[in-house]
Amino acid sequence: MDLVDLIAEKRFIGQEFLTWLWWKSEERGGVVALPGEGDIVVVFEKHMLLEYGEGDSNESLICRGLQTELQEARTGLVMGKKLEQARIQLVYNDYEWNFTMAAALMEFRNVKLPKTGGDSGSSDNPEEREGMVLERIFLFEELVRVVLELFRLFLQIRVGEAWRDELKKVREWVNNAERA
Amino acid sequence: MGFIKGTASFVRFGVEGELPENIWDFIADKVVSFAFRDIDDTYDEYSLGWVSVLNMFDTEFEYASYAAGNYVTLSMRLDERKVSSTIVKKFVQKEEERVKKEKQIPKIARSMRVEIKERIQNELMRKALPMPAVFDMCWNLENSTVLFFSTNKKAQALLEDLFKETFGLTLIQQIPYLCGEHVLDEDDVDKLDRITPEIFL
Repeated sequence: MDLVDLIAEKRFIGQEFLTWLWWKSEERGGVVALPGEGDIVVVFEKHMLLEYGEGDSNESLICRGLQTELQEARTGLVMGKKLEQARIQLVYNDYEWNFTMAAALMEFRNVKLPKTGGDSGSSDNPEEREGMVLERIFLFEELVRVVLELFRLFLQIRVGEAWRDELKKVREWVNNAERA
Repeated sequence: MGFIKGTASFVRFGVEGELPENIWDFIADKVVSFAFRDIDDTYDEYSLGWVSVLNMFDTEFEYASYAAGNYVTLSMRLDERKVSSTIVKKFVQKEEERVKKEKQIPKIARSMRVEIKERIQNELMRKALPMPAVFDMCWNLENSTVLFFSTNKKAQALLEDLFKETFGLTLIQQIPYLCGEHVLDEDDVDKLDRITPEIFL
């Protein structure tokens, strides 16, 4: 299968991951246990984009607001829409990232890196500059690594026996949005 | 943008293909060969090539300034001359009017209209100043991945072409399914291939 077909056919994997992660983070009030790493903070905030349908009949719903107002987005899930983008706060090892995940292609958008002492690119000293560049690379790659660990956690459940139970819990959570 | 400063948007690519043993010599040679060439003083329509991530006018890469640890950091620069279709239309009409008057004809033949349009387009293109666009990338040599700091599809396609042309290596965008192949073990990858979309309600 070439990449274009693969993107279209497997688009749902990223979107299911993001939806699952949203449920997972709300299950314990914004904390997700990452095997081998311990608890990390994953909070869905402010901005979400849901999709419905494919190709020309594609519709989208944008929800903005504080956490509690994301209720509307959950109601979107009840209507069968899929979560395509979400703004996430991720805290791990004293580092805090804020980023928007575009799920179908796993794009990292508007990534705000953790604050560190350095100010990249402003030094004239080549060694200092290289150090600053390396620090930023580390912070980008660390974000990718943690997200891929979460993705691994999701996929291991998704392809395994545990998925039936997990899906039941996600469905309960989605359907509760209607009653809330 | 955003690799060096501020907030950033990026996508990941996997790098496929073999690098020669003397990696850094090979990269040094290739980066210079495919460095950006300025077109400000020419009539070329566009130019695409590598520049330093810190300075879009630096195409010399002194002391291998693109190297940071085990990473290659480069910016892809595209300069393009563009003329808006509205402007082309205006000047074509103007020229047609002039020709009609000069030749004292009521209507211009189709072949002449085509000739006028081509000529005007070329003239305007020559006058247009090249518009620069710069896109950063960071290549991790250890795990053969590239972070590309743009979610623009056209820029991503240009990067894939330039990367292939420069290093002879293929970039494959790491969509979730392909990431799955990397994070799961073999048995689970087979299962991943078989799953179908789930309904969450």
